[in-house]
Amino acid sequence: MAHERIVRIHSISKKLLVGLFASFLVVFLFFHMSANLLILLHDDGAAYTAFCHFMGTNPLVKVAEVALFGSFFIHIVLASYLWLCNRRKRPVGYHKRSRTRTAAASKLAMITGSLLLICLVFHFYDFYLVKMNVVEGLYMVKLEELNNSDINEDAIWTADEEGEYKEFTETGLRWFEITSKTNSDVWLNNLTKEDTEILQQVYRNINTEPDFYHMAHEKFTKWHIVLCYLLFFALVGIHIRHGFESLFQTFGLNNRRYAPVIKWCGIIYTWIICLGFSTVTLGVFFGL
Amino acid sequence: MNFTLHIWRQKNAAAKGKFETYKVHDISPDCSFLEMLDILNEQLIHDKIAHPVCFDNDCREGICGMCGLYINGRPHGNDDGVTTCQLHMRKFRDGDEIWIEPWRAKAFPVICDLVVDRSAFDKIIQAGGYISVTTGGVPDANCIPIPKDVADRAMDAAECIGCGACVAACKNASAMLFVGAKVAHLSLLPQGQPEARQRVKKMVMKMDELGFGSCTNILACEAECPKQIKRQNIARLNRQFIASLFDGNRRDDD
Amino acid sequence: MNLDAKIPEGPLAEKWTRYKNSQKLVNPANKRKLDIIVAGTGLAGASAAASLGALGFHVDIFCIQDSPRRAHSIAAQGGINAAKNYQNDGDSVERLFRDTIKGGDYRAREANVYRLAEVSGDIIDQCVAQGVPFARDYSGMLDNRSFGGAQVSRTFYARGQTGQQLLLGAYGALSREINRGSVTLHTRCEMEELVLIKDDNGVERARGIIVRNLVSGQLERYAAHAVVLATGGYGNVYYLSTNAMNSNGSAAWICHKKGAAFANPCYVQIHPTCIPVHGDYQSKLTLMSESLRNDGRIWVPKKKEDAEALRRGEKKATDIAEEDRDYYLEKRYPAFGNLVPRDVASRAAKERCDAGYGVGPTGLAVYLDFADAIARLGERVIRQKYGNLFQMYQKITDQDPYHTPMMIYPAVHYTMGGLWVDYELQTTIPGLFAAGEANFSDHGANRLGASALMQGLSDGYFVLPYTLQNYLADQITIGHISTKDTAFDEAEQAVRQREEKLLAIGGTKTVDHFHKALGRIMWEYVGMSRNEQSLTTAQEQIDRLEEEFWKDVCVPGSIESFNPEMEKALRLADYFELARLITADALHRKESCGGHFRTESQTDDGETMRDDENFMYVAAWEYQGHGNKEILHKEPLHYEYAKVTTRNYKS
Repeated sequence: MAHERIVRIHSISKKLLVGLFASFLVVFLFFHMSANLLILLHDDGAAYTAFCHFMGTNPLVKVAEVALFGSFFIHIVLASYLWLCNRRKRPVGYHKRSRTRTAAASKLAMITGSLLLICLVFHFYDFYLVKMNVVEGLYMVKLEELNNSDINEDAIWTADEEGEYKEFTETGLRWFEITSKTNSDVWLNNLTKEDTEILQQVYRNINTEPDFYHMAHEKFTKWHIVLCYLLFFALVGIHIRHGFESLFQTFGLNNRRYAPVIKWCGIIYTWIICLGFSTVTLGVFFGL
Repeated sequence: MNFTLHIWRQKNAAAKGKFETYKVHDISPDCSFLEMLDILNEQLIHDKIAHPVCFDNDCREGICGMCGLYINGRPHGNDDGVTTCQLHMRKFRDGDEIWIEPWRAKAFPVICDLVVDRSAFDKIIQAGGYISVTTGGVPDANCIPIPKDVADRAMDAAECIGCGACVAACKNASAMLFVGAKVAHLSLLPQGQPEARQRVKKMVMKMDELGFGSCTNILACEAECPKQIKRQNIARLNRQFIASLFDGNRRDDD
Repeated sequence: MNLDAKIPEGPLAEKWTRYKNSQKLVNPANKRKLDIIVAGTGLAGASAAASLGALGFHVDIFCIQDSPRRAHSIAAQGGINAAKNYQNDGDSVERLFRDTIKGGDYRAREANVYRLAEVSGDIIDQCVAQGVPFARDYSGMLDNRSFGGAQVSRTFYARGQTGQQLLLGAYGALSREINRGSVTLHTRCEMEELVLIKDDNGVERARGIIVRNLVSGQLERYAAHAVVLATGGYGNVYYLSTNAMNSNGSAAWICHKKGAAFANPCYVQIHPTCIPVHGDYQSKLTLMSESLRNDGRIWVPKKKEDAEALRRGEKKATDIAEEDRDYYLEKRYPAFGNLVPRDVASRAAKERCDAGYGVGPTGLAVYLDFADAIARLGERVIRQKYGNLFQMYQKITDQDPYHTPMMIYPAVHYTMGGLWVDYELQTTIPGLFAAGEANFSDHGANRLGASALMQGLSDGYFVLPYTLQNYLADQITIGHISTKDTAFDEAEQAVRQREEKLLAIGGTKTVDHFHKALGRIMWEYVGMSRNEQSLTTAQEQIDRLEEEFWKDVCVPGSIESFNPEMEKALRLADYFELARLITADALHRKESCGGHFRTESQTDDGETMRDDENFMYVAAWEYQGHGNKEILHKEPLHYEYAKVTTRNYKS
């Protein structure tokens, strides 16, 4: 019977895995939200940019990133699998719709989850895929790096027959435009894809990074995008409203005494997440 | 009071069922739901309209767990903490349309009309829902003191009547509340400890095997349980289950 | 017919020990070769099957419901007695024995009752080990409450669901044996016939049963070396009772027809605290636990005009001033007050209502008032103690018992009579045993509260495992019994014929119509108080009704299908005969004792008056064919240890 035990996973174990990976996501959300709040600091994005740089370059973060995506993937796949299995447990349904009073967030967890997946695709399109170099966004580059890099003079100037550089080439003109608009002493930012290409022609071996700060400002000044994101956050809220309590329940960490504590923690956490994200979005929109 | 009843009729397990509509008149508000069905059956037999409607019932005082109908979208009807036999017609409005369906779940196949086969519950209990003591040779009843609170919690869980409303209400047809109640009852008591780890595994495995769904924490079971058994029993089941996964003392012998 | 009770020799306290020491045993290897049939999965049946299975016998167990856990033992509320003396209030086996004998109005067999009291403590130990969550006090020790007919607190309880918890304990033990393979469970099966086969010495023994598979309607045969009947009582002959809808007396009656003597059928217990009847459509009566009488006070108005106003709904119970209330039980029985035995409390309620002091819309109710207890202990304590009962009352009646008194009225609850059994619980048919409410043995003419659970479990856990072995010891050489025997053919044929006959009538009235009519006759004329005239009237009316039943009943559907109407019709056919026997027994017993109250035999103040000289015996009836007068056999009762006195709950 040993093989059976390995192949067959108890229903509770499956649910435990769904919960386990969800718990990473719950923690991640808080992290993500806290980081986003940096956008609201009145420092022209210095702190947030520094943070993004750290996140984009630290190797440990890369590992965490893989784990996070793994969690997302397993959570989604397992939850969908459970949902499919469970649907088969009632081959003939009821004629009358259920009128049992249950928490809507829990009943709708699968639906909010699916919607979240769609939202996530768009969210990735807006931000994350820029980093993956799939979608165009805004970029930035460290000034220090520019200063330390060799300049490809040929790309900037046109040389005459004597080899004297006389005037800017077209690339050179753009380059001049780009580098002269620097208003940070650390970063050259708010660059388009085209800008980075020009810079890369001029400087050898520079690394450009996505400029999430300006991307956020670009996106969140359009009211329809703001609205979509607010809906997205509401969905996140509803989903964790179920998920948070559910986590404790699934891990057996619920008893009569702590039930209300867990419930209130869940409610508070949900609001923190929702309000945190929304504040950033609205803050940018209203230019706070 | 007068009612229009839409009742699921199905001759036997293999037959295809459908809803039939009947009308009942002059029902007293003090009449219980099953007594209303008795009146309908009298009428059906007397007027030779149709075979009487089959439905399970026995004690009619809410303790045997035999009755169970899905009435207007709720197991045991529109009242909290009661079984169908304790649901009274005063809970309805005169002229109401009432839809009466059997429990629906893969693990509870319909036998006839509103009667379903709940032997799956027995099988779960048989898998390990007991404390293995043979008659005789037990210590004095008072030799293990059990704190009152613990005994009371065990009793809360032990009140389950095995009616199956939890399964009927659950979107996933999961039996977690039923299993949770039994596991909680036995694992709370010191007598239940020796077998606690094995019991939970065996019962969960049996539950899965019999075609019950898994829990997704919607808690419709808790909302519909006629004995108001709490979700904490499911949490306890999960806790026990996790503990059994990490139990190093157990030899896997089956 | 020979009524040999087979009571072991020796002093009362040693009889059971002596029996156990000298009985025959079956060795473990041979136990596997022996089959036992147990009909019924209540406390007695489940505990017997579990214990016998654990010993190594192969057991087939049958129940009519979809699960063994539904048996009506589950509905017992109050508790279970045991002479543990945990409360240090002077309880002992001896005292439990005497209370039970006295409660039974000196119509029970001493040796059986003593054995019951003796094993009562073991039952509690057993149940606690099984995980029955009995109520405990703050020290973690078991708690007790007091019950009717006793002056000590010896009743163990699990809220208001003691029966449920005990049954689930036995069900657990049974499930374990099913899992081990020693017990085979057959649900939704009703026993329809007992099969007797002659052994080599020409002795007819119970060797099997025919059951109706209630799902398919098909008949199935099961053979065994012994048959245990644990099918409960026959209270539903009264139609309205506290019994479950499917509880019935047919299995016992079938055995009676096959030759088992039926003892004391007229001893029917009427429970004083039930929710009153409220309409003709009513299908059953709901019991409110006797434990309520611990804290509730029973009263009716002192003035008739108040009672009338209450009936018309012009006044509310709370409008009646304290001095206008008649706490009749406390007044009449100062020593026991509201905790007098059930028969006494029931009759007193009926007497008050008959005298015109009854309350409620029908005038057939008295008040059970908790106002004093709530004032003394606080609503919280009362809620803890009786919360679920109060809630149940409120659900049914739509009245709040925390603020207005409950209304209660007596209802048929338990039948002390049943198949005659000897000390070994064997009926007059060799190999047929009866346990629990199905037998007659331990409660005499009246059962004390919390004793039924005790008896069921004592029979199942601690008596049958011994006495059955004694019976089976010489049967190890027979081998498994074949269901091909002609006796099985005949039995099956008989059942089929009965079913076909019922189906063929095709009349105009439903089974329930006749059952209600029978119930009314029984309640009216063979109910709480009976006399020569009422009983004769009952006999005539039962005959007439039965005749009409066989002409005009309508059983729809077919035989081989799920057909609850057929089940009911088969049961009702037996109830007619049973009702006749109850009436005949009540008619012949020209004395009042316990639950049997003959108005001709009462004291000046309306209490029961026994006639020990002429009636100190067990009346065991022998069936003589349909419609014929049954033959009465008497098993005289001797009281060597208990002092026979007049029951007195006054001082």
